[in-house]
Parts: sequence; C-alpha cells; structure tokens
Amino acid sequence: MAIDTERFSRFLEAVASEIDIPPGKYKEAVERYTAVARWLEEGRYPGASGKPRIFTQGSFRLGTVVRPIRDGVEADYDIDLVEELLIGKGSTTPQAVKTMVGDRLREHETYRRLLDAEGRRCWTLEYSEQDGVGFHLDVLPAVPDPPSPTNSAISITDKGLAGYSWSASDPNGYANWFEGIHARAILVQKQAIFRSAPSHYASVERVPNHEVRTPLQRAVQLLKRHRDMYFSDPKRSPYAPISIIVTTLAAQLYDNDRDLLSTLSAIATTLLDYSPLLDGQSLPPSLSIAGLIRREADGTWYIGNPVNPDENFADRWHLDNQARARAFFGWIRILKHDLVEVFGDTSRQVVEERLSKSMGSRAVSGHVDLLFPARHVVTAPQVSISSPAKPWRRE
Amino acid sequence: MNVGTLQQIEDLRREHAGLTSLVRREHATFVAGTISVEATAGDQEAISDAFEIEILIPSTFPKDLPQVKEIGGRIPTEFGHVNPDGTLCLGVPIELRRAFSEMPTLAGFVENLVVPYLYAFVIWQKEGRHPFGEADHGNEGIARHYVDALKLADELSALAVVTFLAEHGYRGHLDCPCGSGAKSRACHGAELLHLWRTHNRSTLRADVLAVLDVCLRKFGSSIPKGLATRITRLDAAWKLWPKSELPAQSWGGFQDHRRKRRS
Repeated sequence: MAIDTERFSRFLEAVASEIDIPPGKYKEAVERYTAVARWLEEGRYPGASGKPRIFTQGSFRLGTVVRPIRDGVEADYDIDLVEELLIGKGSTTPQAVKTMVGDRLREHETYRRLLDAEGRRCWTLEYSEQDGVGFHLDVLPAVPDPPSPTNSAISITDKGLAGYSWSASDPNGYANWFEGIHARAILVQKQAIFRSAPSHYASVERVPNHEVRTPLQRAVQLLKRHRDMYFSDPKRSPYAPISIIVTTLAAQLYDNDRDLLSTLSAIATTLLDYSPLLDGQSLPPSLSIAGLIRREADGTWYIGNPVNPDENFADRWHLDNQARARAFFGWIRILKHDLVEVFGDTSRQVVEERLSKSMGSRAVSGHVDLLFPARHVVTAPQVSISSPAKPWRRE
Repeated sequence: MNVGTLQQIEDLRREHAGLTSLVRREHATFVAGTISVEATAGDQEAISDAFEIEILIPSTFPKDLPQVKEIGGRIPTEFGHVNPDGTLCLGVPIELRRAFSEMPTLAGFVENLVVPYLYAFVIWQKEGRHPFGEADHGNEGIARHYVDALKLADELSALAVVTFLAEHGYRGHLDCPCGSGAKSRACHGAELLHLWRTHNRSTLRADVLAVLDVCLRKFGSSIPKGLATRITRLDAAWKLWPKSELPAQSWGGFQDHRRKRRS
C-alpha cells in the first residue's frame, strides 16, 4: 500500500522542525547578536560618516538554520553578523577596517574574553551556553561597494597569505532575492500562523518573518542536514557542497510547490538531470538555457550568484580531478534515494532505518508513526458524551 | 508557552499514548498521532474507533483554543464540518468556550470537544444522520446559538444580548436585554452571567460582528433605532470596524455617527 504525498510531507515537515533551531535557542541567539550589534554601533570608527549598518547574513537571515552536527555530535550554531562601516572604500584599507572592528570588540571586557584568534574574513566570538550547545558569532567587517544593480553590494575583508584584500559580497541583495522567490508562500504561512493564535498578533502583517517556514526553507534545511550526515566521513568532508550552492540551487528550482515532498522531489530530480555534465555531455535545451549549473569549455564549473553573476560559487569544483563536482552529483543521487524514493517502501523497519541513517535518529524516531499509524492504540477510557457542541463551519 | 501548558501537553500524551509526534514552533506546539475514541452518548450506540489527528496548541493557550485536523484522510468534505484549511469545525466559538470551561485542560478539550465530533462523524458515516444536530454555517450558526440557548424571539434579540454584554458586562439590576421588561437577575441572569464569564473581549467582539452581520442581512434598515444607537456607542468605544470595512447598508443612527466622526 503506497503511503500518500500528504503523509510524507507532514512527516518531512516534522523532521525539518526537529533539525531547525528550537524557538528558545533562537531567542538566545538573537539576544547575543543584538547585544554585540548594539556595542559595535556605539564604537568610534575614524573616517565613518554615521553609525555602521549591522545585519545578519546566511542561514539566520534566510530562515534556513539547521542544528549543526560535527563528527556525529551536536555542535555550536554559526551566526554571521556583517558590520558595514560607512567609510568610502577608496579612503581606507581592508586591514584598517578589519582592525577597527577587532579593536572595538576588544574594548568590551566580555567580548575580549570570548574572542577567538583572527579569522580570514571575520572576528569570532565563542559563546558556550548552559545547555552545552553554544554559538560561534562571526563578525564580518565591511564597507559599502556601490554602485551595483542591487545598490546593496559591500566589500568584505580577506586576510590571505599575501596580506589583506577586498572581497565582493552582497548579502542583502541575496536575502532580498531569496525572499522574493517564496514571497507568496511566506504570506500563506503568515495567514495560517495568525489564524492559529489570533489574540497574539495584531494583524497578519505583524507575524514576524522568523516564525515562518515555507516549503523552500524546509527543503533547504533537509538538504543541509542530509549533506552534513552524508559528508560526515572525514574522507568525504572536504568536498561537501557549500551551503550557498545548496540554497541557491534549491531556490532556483522552487516553483511555489505547496508541499514539501514535491519541492524536494523537483529539486533532486532536476539537479540529477545536470549530471551528464560530469562526462562532458551536453544537456537538453531546457536545462542548458536555465543554466543553473554550467560546464565551461576548459572543464571548469560555474554556479553563479543570482545577484552578482561575476561570483562563481563552483570555482573550486574542477580541482582534484573534479572532486567536488563528483561529490555533488553522488550526493544528490543518494539524497533522492533517501528522501524521495524511500517513501515507496512499505516496511516500517526499512523506512525508519534508512531515514535514521540519512537524517539522524533523533530527528526521525518520534515521527515515524505519522508514516505508519499505530494499528493497536492503547485504549482510552470510555467517554460519556453529554451536552456536546454542534459541529459548525466558519464559511 | 507557559509551564502549565507544557504540563498539560504531557498529561495529554500520557492519556493518549498514540500521540507520539511532538513539534515545537514559536507560535504553537503540534501534537500528532492516533487517538482511540471509545464513546457513548446518552442511550445512543457506543462506538469504538481510532483516528489520526494533529492538534495545534497555540502559544497563547488557553486564550486561543487548539485547532485540530484529521490527518488520516477519513473525513470527507461531504461531512460539511471541515474548514477549507483542513481544521475540524468543532462548534461555534462560544460553544467551544463553554465546553472548554467545563474541563479547561488539553485532555478535557479532547474529551469534551474532539471525541464528540468524531463520534458524530462515525454515526453520520454509518447512518447518514447528525446525532447532535448541526449548527448553521457561518454567522447564522453563531446567531442561532444565542437564540436557541436563551430561547429568544429572533436574531435581533440576540444582537441586543451580545451588545448589552459588550457594553455593560453582567449587571443583574439592569433590565434584561432580551426585552422581557424584567431585571436581568430575574430573567436570563444565569445565562448572561455564564456568557460573560466564558467570553473574552475578542470573542465577544467577534460574536457582536457575527450577529450584527446576520441582522443586517435579514432585517436591514428595520433594526430598531435604540439598538442601532447602542451599537454606535459600542463602535466608538471598541472600534468594531476599521474605516475601510463599514457595513454596506445604512441604518439609523450608525451612519450619522460615522459622519460625525469624520468631521
């Protein structure tokens, strides 16, 4: 008996919630980075015209946080905070910008203590928390880099072997692009959230973005967790696809699908359709026109940043004999097997084992009953119905 | 979500061990799985069944009541009491509040509201009848509930009652809003007091709007002037509608008031 799509989607949604950052932990994270932001805002930055712009980027910004797993154990969350100093790029240097931010952090007794050694693009504050799961808060110093099509481009600092240089980035532009992709789903979710707790929110518009999880966000979370588990083997892990690639491709393949299984299935199937590129074969016109993944004549790969096509996320895919490219397509094949085709199996034991292995048993075990409802339920005591309400319907 | 609610969730899952799936979101906690339904109603037949359900417990519980979906695909739209979003329509809001107040816990919610609904569905599916009757859909059902519960003459009396409650709360020494001429405490006192205790501001406001909607459609401009004036006063105090959603028909004192407000 085939189990139906709604069931699978409901199950996947539950698993995605398990690997998401818990609400209490999220509040803690916001408290931490808001406090750091306030401290940084009040700093003195010679040459700056006004207070710095401070904002999150990455999974905390996009709503795609997953509980990190390293070496099979729960690890600390990564929070990315960008500090954009309002200094003209031409009137300063990457080193000066990096140093100013580091100095400001060090002026604070607690942050001085939490500061890690200088990172390549950021300063890292390491928080350990009472429950054993802490945060790595990366502060990335930056300056504006107009003009750009999005008007939000920045230059972040990069400390290489040869010294400091600028690196192009546009986290606000990317976040706006991402939000545009699933804007309709966000609204639908906000309406549902509002209806479920009408006394809590003044209106649908007041439902905060961070409480929303659309099928696109859930799909990205499931992809990232599957990736973390699949690449946890130390031999494989250097070639794991970076999150920005996973997120960008998923977003470009999201077609306002309402349910999670369809979303995942479309992503996995279409990405697999690009795998002929590994053997240097050509693609059917529809895929090559979309061009989500390209293979250049010289054998290198291209996955473009949708808000800055000059940025190639796959610029290392050709190294080590196409290692990252091969790892990517090998992973997608297994992901399709583990998260889409698995639902064709009718044995509870087989399904539970496969899902636990690929996603972690903690995330899966509590919800398998959604796929295989218990046949023999512990019987509740008999209820004697008196003064029942009459069933109704809102419209 | 407060500690009391967390405890109630534990109690619920202990009583219904089939509710194995628990998901915590910021706006709500979702509990899902199978519950067994062993129930009888008066001398109607007993049923023994099991349903897969998902219960959404809002973080504002008990101010907002849980919402329930049947996730096993057994209840068809023909049953007539499933909302477009898939939630089960267990009863008109004031009835839910009443039933909940009798056992104000999650386990009580399941026993007093979910089990009877599922019982009714099983009987409907077997015998094509609704063992407890049905409330009319939409605002009609809400208005009719007041008419039936207080044995009123019509929806206008129902409007008078809810408006009175909204304006005064329970005041035993005031004339009963049903229009009998007797004091509240000698007339519908007990029912009014119970309604007042069961409602909160937002549910009462919602019911005023619902009953008013029915009256506007059924009675239109023949709503008595006195009643219209009281609703005008209520609107001034509670802002029943945002300006953009004024009721289409003009009636009595209401339009006058709005005109005054604009100037």
